[in-house]
Amino acid sequence: MGEPTNQHSEVLTSHIWPIGGGKGGTGKSFLTGNIGILLARKGYRTLLIDADLGAPNLHTIIGLPDPATSLSDFLNKRVGTLQETVIEMPVHNLFLISGAKNKLDIANLAHEQKMKILRAVSRLDYDYILFDLGTGTSFNTIDFFTLSDSGIFICTPEPTSIENTYRLIRSVYVRKIRQVLKSDRFRNLSHEAETRNPETIIHNPEYLLDTLKDIDPEEGRSIERVLKSFQFKLVLNQVRKQDNPKIGWLICKIIEKHLDLKIQFIGNVSFDERVHEVVCKREPFIEKYRYSQTTLDLEAVIKCIMNGAEEPVVALQNPIFVQKGLHTQTLSYEET
Amino acid sequence: MRKLDNLNFYELLEIGFDAAPFEIHHAYKEMHQLYHGDSLATYSFFSKEDREKILIKLEEAYSTLMDDNKRSSYDQLLIEQGILEEGMQYQKSQRKLSLISNAEHPNTNMALIIRNRLKPIVSSNPTIQEILGYDVLSGKDLRKIREELGISLEEIAEMAKVRMVYLQSIEEDRFEKTPPGIFLKSFLKAYAQCMGLDADIVANRYLKRVPH
Repeated sequence: MGEPTNQHSEVLTSHIWPIGGGKGGTGKSFLTGNIGILLARKGYRTLLIDADLGAPNLHTIIGLPDPATSLSDFLNKRVGTLQETVIEMPVHNLFLISGAKNKLDIANLAHEQKMKILRAVSRLDYDYILFDLGTGTSFNTIDFFTLSDSGIFICTPEPTSIENTYRLIRSVYVRKIRQVLKSDRFRNLSHEAETRNPETIIHNPEYLLDTLKDIDPEEGRSIERVLKSFQFKLVLNQVRKQDNPKIGWLICKIIEKHLDLKIQFIGNVSFDERVHEVVCKREPFIEKYRYSQTTLDLEAVIKCIMNGAEEPVVALQNPIFVQKGLHTQTLSYEET
Repeated sequence: MRKLDNLNFYELLEIGFDAAPFEIHHAYKEMHQLYHGDSLATYSFFSKEDREKILIKLEEAYSTLMDDNKRSSYDQLLIEQGILEEGMQYQKSQRKLSLISNAEHPNTNMALIIRNRLKPIVSSNPTIQEILGYDVLSGKDLRKIREELGISLEEIAEMAKVRMVYLQSIEEDRFEKTPPGIFLKSFLKAYAQCMGLDADIVANRYLKRVPH
């Protein structure tokens, strides 16, 4: 990633990151909003798009009570360009496309409308564009991942959240194969794969690729390349002291090993009970608790987002050694 | 199970062909924890049947690679298949170890290499980290760390050039058998270094229990 554009205006390419999770309450909007503020503070022009179409509340997380425009203004052609729905936030370099005034029936977008949004987004000139996506495995959520070939998954260290994260990632996997192959080819392939393994679509979508490689090795390799071109990242949120700090790393290892998808673990974000307090007060967390462990964790996460391949470096409980890919809290800071 | 069927035992355990027994032991433990039914990271990823297949293959890999004769036959099979190159397999003779640093050929100091391989294991193992949090360490604690690392007392004796009888007396807290004062400290430091631990911290915490 280059320097912020207010210093080097020649950097025009936006980094687009859909942010989603398989389960509600994992902190997608919280992380999107606070990561956005941190990026903006570093001088990067950052646009947040509330694409949680059914339940938008990103504006509340970043402290904007009543947004004047929203995404639906663009979809309903009330405005001519997506840029016209952008709201400039009080935080310098931070911008928002809100979902607050979306119509209540907007939750199910047609494929064309999603493409329209993504085409319009690709013409916007920001350093970072973060999509706050809805929960679960609806096409609205999955398509933002598959169409942009990138994404950050938010998960908590609980079985329910991990289970739904796997489900979401497998859904993205199947959806991508379906998009590349077109419907007839996909139907034939899934029929053949299900004959070989009856649980293919439900539990083992990886058999789709295996089956395709058997039937048409060249096309199989081509799909494999497409799947490997995804740039996925995983953040483990609401991590408590008693949680295994390696869980996020292990989840990524399992996905890479068994699904052949590339996914990078970019860090643990500590649980902080004061999050509830700031959400109730509609204040951005990192503005109020700049030196909390959670804020420091978020700083480490955006470093990984910006640096791509760099793994999180975190200290363990006993500070005799430091190892990559892990995390626990050994530091304590006084609040300002 | 997809892909795993095609992996050889070394790939399955994610270790090199020259891995020492303690590395095999550690890799097996990690993999077993990752794939067993209670693992938070994988319990919802695999079906029961797939998980059983993985665990059976892991057991097979471990029992083969930990047995010198079986490992040798298995390596021979891999050599015949062109997967492993002759001379690249683990040989006990490689592990003639010395703590005396060879400045001209630092990579030939196997003790140093092993210590460096153990350090990340030490820092990621919660049991070891808990023990290292104690103010005072007993021989039982040290043995627990050693067992967690999967390294034998014989290997330590060989690396540290300390007689087995002294190492045993240290681990069993038989202070009447341990060598006196400065020698005990020196042996403790060598023992700790061989396991990738901070030698001074371990020696000082152990010596707190030794009667003057």
